[in-house]
Amino acid sequence: MDKTQVLLALAVALFALGMIGVVVRRNVLVMLMCMELMLNGVNLSLVTFAHQAASNVGAVLVFLVFVVAAAEIAIAIPIVLLLVRSKRTLDLASYSDLKG
Amino acid sequence: MGQLTLIVVLPLLGFLLNGLAGDRLGKGFVSAVGCGLPAVSFLLTVKCFLDLAAGGDAPLVETAYTWAAVGDSAFAVSFWFDRLAAVMTLIVTGVGTLIHVYSIGYMHADRSYARYFAYLNLFLFFMLLLVLGKSLLVLFVGWEGVGLASYLLIGFWFEDMDKARAGKKAFIANRIGDAGFLLGMFVLYSALGTLEMDRINAAFSASPLPAVSASLIGVLLFVGATGKSAQIPLYVWLPDAMAGPTPVSALIHAATMVTAGVYMVARLAPVYVHAPEASQLVAFVGALTAIFAATIAIAQTDIKKVLAYSTVSQLGFMFVALGVGAYGVAVFHVYTHAFFKACLFLGAGSVIHALSGEQDIRKMGGLARKIPVTFVTFLVATAAIAGIPPLAGFFSKDEILWFAFASGRGGSTLLWLVMSATALLTAFYMFRLLWLTFFGRSRMDPEVEHHVHESPLSMTAVLAVLALLSAVGGFLSIPHFLEPQLPLPAVPEALARYQTPLVAVAVAIGLAGLAAAAFVYGGTGERARRLAQRFAGVHRVLYDKYYVDELYDAVLARPLLWVSEKVFLGLGDRKLLDGTLNGMAALASRGAGLLGRVQIGSLQFYAFLVLAATVAVILWSWRHV
Amino acid sequence: MIERLLANLDTLLLYLFAACAFVSAALMIVLAQPMRVALALISTMVFLGGIYGLLGVHFIAAFQVLIYVGAVMVFMVYAIMLLDVRDPAYQRRYSRYLVPGILAGVAFFAALAWGLAREFADVAEGGPAAGGAFGIQQFAAAFLNEYWLHFELTSVLLVAAVVAALAVINVSRRDRG
Repeated sequence: MDKTQVLLALAVALFALGMIGVVVRRNVLVMLMCMELMLNGVNLSLVTFAHQAASNVGAVLVFLVFVVAAAEIAIAIPIVLLLVRSKRTLDLASYSDLKG
Repeated sequence: MGQLTLIVVLPLLGFLLNGLAGDRLGKGFVSAVGCGLPAVSFLLTVKCFLDLAAGGDAPLVETAYTWAAVGDSAFAVSFWFDRLAAVMTLIVTGVGTLIHVYSIGYMHADRSYARYFAYLNLFLFFMLLLVLGKSLLVLFVGWEGVGLASYLLIGFWFEDMDKARAGKKAFIANRIGDAGFLLGMFVLYSALGTLEMDRINAAFSASPLPAVSASLIGVLLFVGATGKSAQIPLYVWLPDAMAGPTPVSALIHAATMVTAGVYMVARLAPVYVHAPEASQLVAFVGALTAIFAATIAIAQTDIKKVLAYSTVSQLGFMFVALGVGAYGVAVFHVYTHAFFKACLFLGAGSVIHALSGEQDIRKMGGLARKIPVTFVTFLVATAAIAGIPPLAGFFSKDEILWFAFASGRGGSTLLWLVMSATALLTAFYMFRLLWLTFFGRSRMDPEVEHHVHESPLSMTAVLAVLALLSAVGGFLSIPHFLEPQLPLPAVPEALARYQTPLVAVAVAIGLAGLAAAAFVYGGTGERARRLAQRFAGVHRVLYDKYYVDELYDAVLARPLLWVSEKVFLGLGDRKLLDGTLNGMAALASRGAGLLGRVQIGSLQFYAFLVLAATVAVILWSWRHV
Repeated sequence: MIERLLANLDTLLLYLFAACAFVSAALMIVLAQPMRVALALISTMVFLGGIYGLLGVHFIAAFQVLIYVGAVMVFMVYAIMLLDVRDPAYQRRYSRYLVPGILAGVAFFAALAWGLAREFADVAEGGPAAGGAFGIQQFAAAFLNEYWLHFELTSVLLVAAVVAALAVINVSRRDRG
């Protein structure tokens, strides 16, 4: 079990934990943070692969992920604030207006 | 573009011009184009004819373009102009042009004047394609095309449902025949690998003969001919086809299109020479049709219906000639028939025109003095068809009777008797028609009688030309002219001496028909009424045309309708096709309903589904990648 | 002993950071208060930054701390502070998909880890990365030569995000007014 495998396993674990968090937590803000955690897991895997392959493509992708994450949070937080204003709660179970 | 191609293409040009722009450019333009281009075609045909004569009978051949090349065989649109084609082309363009001219007067008040001329030119185009085609395939295109034009023109006044239906009937009856024609073509192609008629004829003229049954081909092609040339059992469409404008009846359903079957058989004469069984069938069907239609014609009261059944009967004469191997004689009759029958139809059109649309001969009579030109021309043509010498019909009919009696290839006394009886009936019903229309007391409505008038010059002039041709056309011996190409059958030595007596008999028959009609229908018409009463049953059957339409309806149409409705519509369409579609729609709807339950509105549930599905995909990919 | 430890200090630190990152991430699932969750996430990010640094990609480590911790998480913390602490979502931590969610997540990890063990068993380690390949200079050159289109597109994305955020704020103003 070498360094690369450990790091990739960590990346998978972070991604899985983030996914679990999205599914099991009620709080919208916590869910958002779990998504950030998933992005971090992906970033870690990218850096690991880049390191292993001695290539800078992975690093470029990581940079792009940073940008996406920043853009995402910049829109997500105002949306959450709006949601809370309309329903007075952060509990995701209350938000089921689009039920089929 | 060669001159043969030009002959064919000019009417097409007329069709395009009149069809696309005719309504906008006025009647003068339509008439000029509609009559002018066929006239040019006619002149070109005359020129080609002279070329043919000058070239010592070598057929003129022209390839317009190659339609398709499949493997080694190329299908070219080629035209072939030999003596037979020359005669037919002259008839088609000549009579066709005359009838176009006649139509100017006849159709002058019609709303769809341009459409009428467009269709007429279209018909001429396809007819010329049929006549001039070198390949059976080109002939077939023309064959189908004239069927289409005929359908369009029969249903020309399509607002009238009956007329539209008559067009449909003609089309369907023709399609049945065409199936046989197509099969014949398939057999020919698979046996000889070509559809070029000169090569087919060469193959059947050479020895050894091709390894294919000539009779099979002959019968299959003849099935096509029974459709187009209105023979039993497919003749039923022709009387109904009278729903079209009268010049159309004259051009398509008397002079040209219906003789296409005769032309086709004559064109493939070498095949039929080697097909005695098929030839016998042709003669048999022709004779049966001839006498069958003649008896019907006796009892009809519609002026055009009488002429229609007369046409069917005369076509029977032609097929008898074909059946006994006298191909040139059949073409001769086509030629004379084109003149006198066109003249009769156009004369009938003139009568109908004079009587403001009345077609029932029971409501005519005494017209001879009111419309003299029509009367005289009609008289000449009637005498011609009845076989009164020295008019055209006498010569051709006499030759047919002679060969029916004496041909070494299937002539017999019985055939002669049947055909002579038919000739007698022909003379009788034609003079009956003449009598009821032009002689005796007037039985017209006073309102109609008041308006009776002679037709305009464009119509009477055409009548006069056709009557002249009916009178003198017979002196041109077409069989002799065609003999290098279509040799006449040998006559057994023992029978040769009967020729002169039989001519006398033929003349006597014509005169007897005249006398009988004069006797029965002359005077007050009392005799005719008594006759009809005494033979009421027979009269009824004849008047109702042997109930053939009803028979076809009961035996063919109704079962077909039933099968279509119950099996194809009910089972096939509704249950199978609709059922499948509706079933699929229901499946989609039900599936959507089920999947809709998944849409519970919980984001986390969706996220869970995504996660679970991702796991499934990963596991699957570990297994398979 | 100490010397050996020092010789392998890099690797040891790497494992240590990895363990800490994992624990922090796991805490995110468990902790009730959003603020604590945010702090756990920050700690995960910082440890990841450490790992990046140990791998030699220093500028990524710097960005990790600057952008994630410095910008994203600060934003998040403000949002948490803005919202009502007495929200029922703060008391009831878990949705009703707790058990299936955890099972599926574990299955996800297991599936990928199994694949990792299978696929990477025979792959030799890439050796220490050539430091040059990850220098900020090469990175910048690559961005401006090879990936300039992507680089520009990120700016478009950011502009779009800014516009979107403004639009959302406008909506909220309209609602209030």
